[in-house]
Amino acid sequence: MYQFLKRFQSLDRRWVFLGMAISIVLPMLFPVHFPTKVDERVQSLYDRLEELEPGDKVFVSADFDPASRPELEPFFRANLHHMFSRDVDIVIGSLWPFAPPLVTPMIEDLAAQHGAVYGEDYAFLGFKMGNELAIKMIGDDIIKAFPVDSRENVTADLPIMNGIRQAQDFELIMSVSAGFPGTKEYVLQIQGQYNLEIASSTTAVSTPDYVPFYKAGQLFGLAGGMPGSAHYEQLVYEDYPVEGVRMMATQALDVLNLGHLYIIILIVFGNIAFFLTREVEE
Amino acid sequence: MNKLLKAILLLCATLLPTSGYATTVTDLSVESPKNGDGLTLDISWNISVEGEHADAVLVVRSKDGESWEQTGDIIAISDSAAYEHSDRLDVPGTWSYKVVLLNADSPEDLDLLLAQARTSSVVSGEPVGKWINTNQGHIALMCLILLVGWLMLHYTKRAMSGDEIYIRKMPGIDAIEEGIGRATEMGKPVLYVPGIDDLQDIQTIASMLILGQVSKTVAEYQSDLIVSCCIPIVREVADEVVRAGFFQAGHPDAFDPTSVRFISSEQFAFCAGTNGIIHREKPATNIYFGRFFAESLILAETGYVNRSIQIAGTAEATQLPFFVAACDYTLIGEELFAVSAYLSRDPRLVSSLKASDMIKVACVAAMIIGTILASLDNDILVNLFTISG
Amino acid sequence: MKRTVPLIISFIVGLVMVGEFFIPHYKYRAVTSELLEWGLILAAGAFILGLVNLVQVNLPVVIQKKEDWGYKLVMLITLVVTLLIGIYSGTGRQDDGEHYKWLFDYMFVPLNATMFALLAFYIASAAFRAFRARNLEATLLLAAAILVMLARVPIGEAIPVVGDYLPKVMNWIMDVPNIAGRRAIFIGAALGAVSTGLRVILGLERSHLGGE
Repeated sequence: MYQFLKRFQSLDRRWVFLGMAISIVLPMLFPVHFPTKVDERVQSLYDRLEELEPGDKVFVSADFDPASRPELEPFFRANLHHMFSRDVDIVIGSLWPFAPPLVTPMIEDLAAQHGAVYGEDYAFLGFKMGNELAIKMIGDDIIKAFPVDSRENVTADLPIMNGIRQAQDFELIMSVSAGFPGTKEYVLQIQGQYNLEIASSTTAVSTPDYVPFYKAGQLFGLAGGMPGSAHYEQLVYEDYPVEGVRMMATQALDVLNLGHLYIIILIVFGNIAFFLTREVEE
Repeated sequence: MNKLLKAILLLCATLLPTSGYATTVTDLSVESPKNGDGLTLDISWNISVEGEHADAVLVVRSKDGESWEQTGDIIAISDSAAYEHSDRLDVPGTWSYKVVLLNADSPEDLDLLLAQARTSSVVSGEPVGKWINTNQGHIALMCLILLVGWLMLHYTKRAMSGDEIYIRKMPGIDAIEEGIGRATEMGKPVLYVPGIDDLQDIQTIASMLILGQVSKTVAEYQSDLIVSCCIPIVREVADEVVRAGFFQAGHPDAFDPTSVRFISSEQFAFCAGTNGIIHREKPATNIYFGRFFAESLILAETGYVNRSIQIAGTAEATQLPFFVAACDYTLIGEELFAVSAYLSRDPRLVSSLKASDMIKVACVAAMIIGTILASLDNDILVNLFTISG
Repeated sequence: MKRTVPLIISFIVGLVMVGEFFIPHYKYRAVTSELLEWGLILAAGAFILGLVNLVQVNLPVVIQKKEDWGYKLVMLITLVVTLLIGIYSGTGRQDDGEHYKWLFDYMFVPLNATMFALLAFYIASAAFRAFRARNLEATLLLAAAILVMLARVPIGEAIPVVGDYLPKVMNWIMDVPNIAGRRAIFIGAALGAVSTGLRVILGLERSHLGGE
């Protein structure tokens, strides 16, 4: 028994990986769907968006890549669906070079569903290089930051950009951010200077970093990781249902469930083995 | 006389209500913001409505008083209220503004609209650019930066005149030289990863400063160094820094130009490439100093499998837990910025650590005093450093 | 001279850029915007140098058939193919049907997602190895980790009796000790960053410039 416990503590990582693989695949094949309570920060985000009036203009910064797509794409889709349903005008930009080819099909898909007209109801300004410098330019002069949009139209000539020159001309800013540059840079560079209303959807690992911003009122809402996206999906598709929609984050919560449980069981058994072998050694 | 008459008429025009459909525009004014940039004007006006009223208003502007252009969105009116509009100009100078009343029948063409619609009187203003932002928060921050700079120079002067400055022991930094020694004994290289952020990030700058010291030590030990870079311009700077380090150690010929490598500017491609370096070249010591993101754990776990000694340092709080779990030594936050001073023991650099420590003490004191004051409903310290506009 | 000129440039440019935060005048902003644009152009130009370095490091290994030359060959071929396809496709490279888009959708996206997915496995092995209750601090870390992991997923809320309290405990851990620690790290790191920046601007730090 002692030998087994000793070997268990230095278990080959490949067994750990195999167990993890099983924990991920099983719930995909046999979904369970535990009920879940909506987080207060996601509710706050949703409620503020519910106050938007038709014709209000929102800037969405789509800053994610294929790696963070599973966590953020569900939120991004639900967010666009939410705002299109409320006839809000949406201007989307990106600070990550791999975001445009990812988000363009999503934007066009959702715009087509809602009959939105490019240039009037929505516009995609494309990618802007420069990290914090780009964000400062967006705050200072968005037309200068994006002189042409993703379709090579002159940005200033787009009807949706009428009256929009700086970030503060938007009703609010949504930052769908997987890291750097993203929400933190928006808050640090321009939120205070222009007194902007910003909300964020971010990966789970970055969420604790942004909680202080939410607590300080610098963010009016925060959807963290897959659970945050799932909560937001539930709120949006309950009030604005779409037939045949696939709530990706809600479905993925099952995988998170079992994955977390597996790691907890590993840690607990590892510690039990640690204590028992330590006693024997003493 | 003409000027006087004009002034009286302008005054009357501003005071007299502009009415159309029982909609009155009053108190139209244009001013330069308090800390304006010289290209912004703030326009404000009041609207009072009674019964049937105009549907919306539009603000127009003109440089020469003749050709007018729209500025901002059409503003819908539902009730009496005060309105504001911040106008960003393309050129400085005196600009005139007026408010145009709109209804459902108003033409879309601006010239036609101005000819037909009722408008308010014209007011003019010139934006004033300020050369110093006089907001309380900005002034307080400037004073803080000047204080830090003065403290640094003061302690530098003291250190140069012989005063000894104490630095506490940091095992993580001591382990760097041990790790380089281990690499030399094992005949394996040292891997240095300066993070994945751009050169303008302060953590990358700190990493470059540390790389100078590390490359000098590696050259002294006659070991091999591999620097794996994610950003091309960081690679160029790292190349110069390593070259300089070898030169300083008196071994300029030992520098291998292929040791400083650009892998990929894509995060996970860089991670995969660096993992490949770890698996193939099997470095004895891995040093991760800089800004890292999701790839931190992948790099650290790969290094663990390779049985390298790993020393990490980052101010990126989200990645610290992964480094703590997988590395032998982890430097947290500000310790990363102290490494270069600790390694070199240069009095000028060590004294700067003392200066920042003094500021830290002042921050803690301010937090305690501020907390007590805020509990007594006094926001003086909170407002002192509030940055706005 | 070799060290003095860069020090002078660092000092002047550093002061000018710090000044941007305190000087709102548009003429000053025009200067700083120009400097920032120069920085962007330099960074873009460095990509060419990066490309040269990639070839410089890997091509000799392929030619001389040194260890693992096959991997380097694959990398170089991929580099050339992607570059040529991107140039050939032009500005329409992100349109459906373009080869570049195919490369992105069917090679880059899955590879990128795969690398990120490795994290799930590595977290499991790192957690299993690192979370041992060796002392009081390690035990606190372990307990907090388990509580937060359980509370973040619906299965935790479904546990009888404790399920209702878990989110409250998690929120307290995240909102109080977690934020306190992070704020301490932020403030310390920010002060360290100011100190490092001022050292470089004032010319106190010279290790990046070369020998004495």
